[in-house]
Amino acid sequence: MPERALSGSGLSASPVRGMVRPRHVGPAAAQRRRATHVLRAVMAALLSSAGRLRALRPRLSPLLPPLLRPPAAPAPPPGPARHIMNQVRFLTVAPQEEGNVKQEPVSEVGTRPSWQFDWALNKVDNSVRKTGRIPKALLLKIFQEVSKAGCPGSNQTLLLLQSCGAVLPEVLSPERTELAHMIWDKMKELGAVYDTSHYNALLKVYLQNEHKFSPTEFLARMEEANVQPNRVTYQRLIAAYCNEGDIEGASKILGFMKSKDLPITEAVFSSLVKGHARSGDMKSAENILSVMRMAGVEPGPDTYLSLLNVYAEKGDVDSIKKTLEQVEKTEGYLMDRILMQVIFSLAKAGFPQHIEGIRERIRFERELIPDVMNLCLTLITHGFEDISFSILKSLGHLSREDTDQGSFFLQHCVNRDLPMSKLKQFCKELKEAKMHSAPLPFILRCALEANKSALAIDVMKMMKEEGLPLRPHYCWPLLVAYEKEKNLKGIFEVLKSMHKLGVDLDAETYTDYVFKNFADIETAHAQLKENGCLFESVGLYLAELRSEALQGRLDKVLSILSSANTPALDCRLFRNSLILAFKRSDDVQLWSKITELLYKDERYCLTPPGPTEAVGYFLYHLIDSMSDSEVQAKEELLRQYFHQLKKMNVVIPTSHYSGICRLLDSSQVPELIKDVRLLCHKKSLSTDNIPESAKSDVSALENKLEKQKAENQPITDVLKQLILALCEEENMQKALEVKAKYEPDMVVGGYAALINLCCRHDNVEEAMNLKEKVFPRNSPVALDSGKYVALIEVLEKHGRLEDAINILTEMKEKDVPISGRTVASFLHILNAAAMRGEVERVNRLHDAIANLGLVQTAALHAPLITVHLEKDDMPAALEALISCYKKYGKNPQLHNIYCKLVEKGDADLLQKVSDFISREYGDMMALYDLFFAFLQTGKYKEAKKVIETPGLRAHSGRLRWFAKRCILGEQMEVLEQLVELTRNLFDCDRDEMYYHLLELCDSNKDWGKAEAIWTKIQEENIVPREKTLILLANILKKNGQVVPFEVPKGSPEDSTSAATGELEIRMLCKQNKVKEAYSIFRKMQKDESHRRCCTMLVKALLAQDFLDEALDVKRIAETHIKGFTLNSAASSLLIISQVRRDYLKDALAVLKKVLDSGMLPTRQAVFALTEALAEKRDIKNLQVLGGILGDVTKSLGLSGSLIPNAIALAHTKNNDLDAAVKYLEPLLISGAQNPDQAARSISYLLRKVSEEGLEPALEKFGAMAERLAGQCGIYKPVTDLFLQYISADRVDDARSLIQKWDAIAQEKRTLGRFMAGSATKPGQAKRIEALLELIPEHLNLAVAYRYLLRCYELDGDVASVKATYEKTKAKNIELNEISLKSLATFLKQVGEPVPFTEPPETFKFYAEKWKNRRLEAS
Amino acid sequence: MAAASVVRAAGRRSRRLFDIFVAEVPWTVSSKELKEYFSQFGSVQRCQLPFDRDTGFHRRYCWIKFSTPEEVQNVLQKDSHILEGSKLSLQQQSRRRRSQRKNPRQ
Repeated sequence: MPERALSGSGLSASPVRGMVRPRHVGPAAAQRRRATHVLRAVMAALLSSAGRLRALRPRLSPLLPPLLRPPAAPAPPPGPARHIMNQVRFLTVAPQEEGNVKQEPVSEVGTRPSWQFDWALNKVDNSVRKTGRIPKALLLKIFQEVSKAGCPGSNQTLLLLQSCGAVLPEVLSPERTELAHMIWDKMKELGAVYDTSHYNALLKVYLQNEHKFSPTEFLARMEEANVQPNRVTYQRLIAAYCNEGDIEGASKILGFMKSKDLPITEAVFSSLVKGHARSGDMKSAENILSVMRMAGVEPGPDTYLSLLNVYAEKGDVDSIKKTLEQVEKTEGYLMDRILMQVIFSLAKAGFPQHIEGIRERIRFERELIPDVMNLCLTLITHGFEDISFSILKSLGHLSREDTDQGSFFLQHCVNRDLPMSKLKQFCKELKEAKMHSAPLPFILRCALEANKSALAIDVMKMMKEEGLPLRPHYCWPLLVAYEKEKNLKGIFEVLKSMHKLGVDLDAETYTDYVFKNFADIETAHAQLKENGCLFESVGLYLAELRSEALQGRLDKVLSILSSANTPALDCRLFRNSLILAFKRSDDVQLWSKITELLYKDERYCLTPPGPTEAVGYFLYHLIDSMSDSEVQAKEELLRQYFHQLKKMNVVIPTSHYSGICRLLDSSQVPELIKDVRLLCHKKSLSTDNIPESAKSDVSALENKLEKQKAENQPITDVLKQLILALCEEENMQKALEVKAKYEPDMVVGGYAALINLCCRHDNVEEAMNLKEKVFPRNSPVALDSGKYVALIEVLEKHGRLEDAINILTEMKEKDVPISGRTVASFLHILNAAAMRGEVERVNRLHDAIANLGLVQTAALHAPLITVHLEKDDMPAALEALISCYKKYGKNPQLHNIYCKLVEKGDADLLQKVSDFISREYGDMMALYDLFFAFLQTGKYKEAKKVIETPGLRAHSGRLRWFAKRCILGEQMEVLEQLVELTRNLFDCDRDEMYYHLLELCDSNKDWGKAEAIWTKIQEENIVPREKTLILLANILKKNGQVVPFEVPKGSPEDSTSAATGELEIRMLCKQNKVKEAYSIFRKMQKDESHRRCCTMLVKALLAQDFLDEALDVKRIAETHIKGFTLNSAASSLLIISQVRRDYLKDALAVLKKVLDSGMLPTRQAVFALTEALAEKRDIKNLQVLGGILGDVTKSLGLSGSLIPNAIALAHTKNNDLDAAVKYLEPLLISGAQNPDQAARSISYLLRKVSEEGLEPALEKFGAMAERLAGQCGIYKPVTDLFLQYISADRVDDARSLIQKWDAIAQEKRTLGRFMAGSATKPGQAKRIEALLELIPEHLNLAVAYRYLLRCYELDGDVASVKATYEKTKAKNIELNEISLKSLATFLKQVGEPVPFTEPPETFKFYAEKWKNRRLEAS
Repeated sequence: MAAASVVRAAGRRSRRLFDIFVAEVPWTVSSKELKEYFSQFGSVQRCQLPFDRDTGFHRRYCWIKFSTPEEVQNVLQKDSHILEGSKLSLQQQSRRRRSQRKNPRQ
């Protein structure tokens, strides 16, 4: 590609980063011509028949013009169409922005949120892309910021350098070069490292600024710095020689390039044109065109520009015209931009008389506005403001009612210090031409911004003459500026001018902009008086009042308020300040006196409803503004205040009284409420939800169920638990059997789980039977959405479409809540049917789903089209698309339809779909769709024609979408073409395009291509973003290459792909789609940033028992991420999974690693491992475990007895009871003597042997416990035995034990803990009943009954709850508030009356209260 | 205590104002003009137009506060609002919710 720089003129906007000037826009007629041309060419590729071609033409010709029209006001169409509206607006954005001097347009920022950190790049990029220029102030600001930050990144430096050229039309060339040098040196000083790209950028700046320099010296400097010149360097050096007319120098470099086999591009030839001309040899200059043709390079716009410019420099207007005509005839370029360059050349060369002739040839269309603006600015900068103004007026026909034109012009005139008379003339003419609605206020603003205070005052005078309002805040920027300079004289002058001009001197002016300059108000007052600007306005007094109040000086406030000089002021105007002052003061006297004044002095309550209201309102706000603690602290003061006010006969309306009372009430000052003699009381009610959780294993539940059944107890609960447990075990057979056996006791929850189980096991018959029986359509009871979906899925699979649709309808009828997951499942079902090509099924299911009103995602519609694509039925696919759009406003699968049509060469249908998209979304979208389809199908020539359509501009969202597609599909060629073809696309973010290319290079490990991309980036004069450079450096590094530039110091931001990958993983984990998440993880490149994501993935995998995958992720993370360790939660899950798989050694190793790294595993993990080791009788490893756990057991809240118990259990399982006793007994004895020592309880051991029915072991340990009690007086073990009997419902054994060892009853703590434990799970009331039966005299009855009640509540046993409550009443047992609260909540829940006053506060409140009480007691 | 703060919060809520956020306010306009303009739709309780103390210009956005949501609706029903030749950009302010602590037992 040729050099894009139109070097020399200083006019061309150099593309910074993404910026490429639009160069393809011309008069509407030409566009239309061109559009037709495009279509013809495009279609010709597709069609062979000329007849068809004709059919296409009319459609294509109107394709574009609508784009260029100002936005009409139709309601924005849905979906992407809204973007078009924005885009269309962009086309017209420039004139609107003219009025917006301060903020350069940053309109599109919203669509690119990820780059906030390189804000400088963004700002400059946006500025250049939208306007073709950078305001000097912005550049300097960025320079300062970068300097402040200290270590400039290489691309920030590059950006700054590149900004010192033609993109600064408001600055003279020498000044620009000076700026570049200053930046170069300063950045170097700050440690910037320069590479080839920086030298190339500097060269470009020299060229654009026509800076004279020695190319050989430049090369020498590069050599000195050990930086290699590249092709771009040589091209620019040739241009430098040519600027000076030094053909010899240029030839030297040219020879050098040839020897290095570097390609000679158009850029070189166009330089040579200029070189020859400037050396005075016009013949050779003109001859270059044929030379280049011979060399196989076609002259392009750059070459012609070069030629035209040299004619202009000579004032040879005839040759210009001849050339133009020739170009127009043969090449068909749009010459407008080139002509503008020529105008500037003519102006500079001193031939203004020829300008009008050139200007006439330019078609001033909207798209040209940024360039016209830049031309105007450049002309003003060079002192040609009148020529500039005449050009500006050429835009007049583009003006619209609501936008101003020429603001930029006026602003630059102000900045260049044009005299007032000139400004006045321009303003007048602009207004007359209806190009600008308010030029005077606009130049006022410019003057204010540029701090030109004399001009500002002059403009205000003129505004006054014209009858325009002058507002106080117009003068504030001037005051601010003088304040900064500490220039009091300036301030006085402004005040005097304001007074003279009749501008209202309001309170804000004084408070915010005048008083600040003085130590205090008195000084201010005195100084103002002394300097003749004490204008006694309401504003002045109000400002004084506010200022004094804000400084808390109530005495001054009082004196101002009582002063006779003070004019009338509504007290609302200073109420807030006064309240602040009151709060800061403790002087009740002053409070009262001021309040009295407000009440009685007419000046302060001018307006109705009068003093009563005003003061009432004031008091209310005063109290309201105080925090609770303030009110409490000032309670006494407030009381005195109220009394004083009463004494002063201040009266306040009732409504305010009650408001104040409410406030006082909420601030907890009831005594004060009495003072205001009003009371109000409010109370909030609360309900109490009792959490319920129960999960047991199947066999235990079965036993329990049978037992309860045998005992004629209610079994619904345990039956449900059993069903759930069986479902969890995926034991459908058994679950169905159990259901059949206990059918009458089945509850809804059990059925639901069972239905789901049947679905999972593909048992559609049973699932539907159960569903129809328990959840019939007409019953109000509904399944949850997941279960409905499971049903639909299995029904669809079995071809029972009607049933499936019925279920969907039922979901709608029953208003089943739909989650994202449900939608995903629907998509899955629909897609499955679509892939099988079952049109009818897809349509009907989709209809039913859509009727549910839950299709929020367009993806859900895709199967409607997919099904036809699968069958290769394009007309049907298109029809489906259109009907989908009509019904749902979406058009999924559009790209695939386009591609297929292009592939098939089906021009009719292609035209049809294009028409449709144009009509619904606008021409731009249709063009993009066509462009992508051609790219995708490898028809690049056609794609090129489409994207070059005049007026088309970048749509970043669409471009990104397609680029991502290419990256995912690893389509390098297509992506390269995309990047290449969008090169001249207006407003295209070039950096982003190259970034996409690099992303693909990265995943393909193609460092060679990546390196070539870097050179291309320089040639295009793009400043890459940091993330682009980082990615490039990473690719080179990863593939063992040297990085030829300084890598920006890593910003924490991830690369987009990694970040989205991570995001995806998280989403999928949350949706429990761990397998998908895992496969994305495998594909992702792993680095530092994924620490959290790895942990999350491991946890998610473990939660679904994918142990191997979890271990794989762990291994990858440990090898790729420095210092990566799983956190304790994930490690604990890992341990549990390993235990489940019997990988006990591995689990032990993980546990050790966790402890070694200073983390704590969860209790569950340790417990699971211990239990499993005991089960395996692995005494050795239990001892190891005990060793590594050490003291940690306690921190985990595990009993110190756990390991000894487990070891004893292992011995037991080894059938070696003697060894168990021999091991345990001494531990128990020593444990009893030393309370810190482990092993005091054997409840775990007893429970295990009892549960497993090891009666001999129980006897043996029982004997041991009794021996310890009898011989050593150690009663803990025998108590454990006693409680184990109770737990196992062996009341008689328990009774005989306690008769023997009544000391058991003294183990109160153990008993208490036992009862508390019993009251945490349902079904354990019996334990407490047994205790009450056996040892009532040893129990704290209040406590025991409390727990008993709780047990019944958990069981949902209303009768027992009520009976027990009656019993407590009969026995006069006082229940605490927690129990009463819990009881009341329970009774209310089951719809029973509460036979006592429910404690008013929440459960939590009482729980905390009792906890605190306990803490205080201990 | 919790109950008290609830009461207080409720009190605050009852006299909450209803905001409209207005952007693209022309620089020539001050809060006085804004108040005047918006008064045609209801009684403007407050108009906050922050000024940049560093430049002396306002920041070109403001909040207009009404006492009822109906007044806000009145404003929003009008298609476009043009003040001194500039089209204002309006946005109903989504009210910040006070963080409601979740108490499972309530």
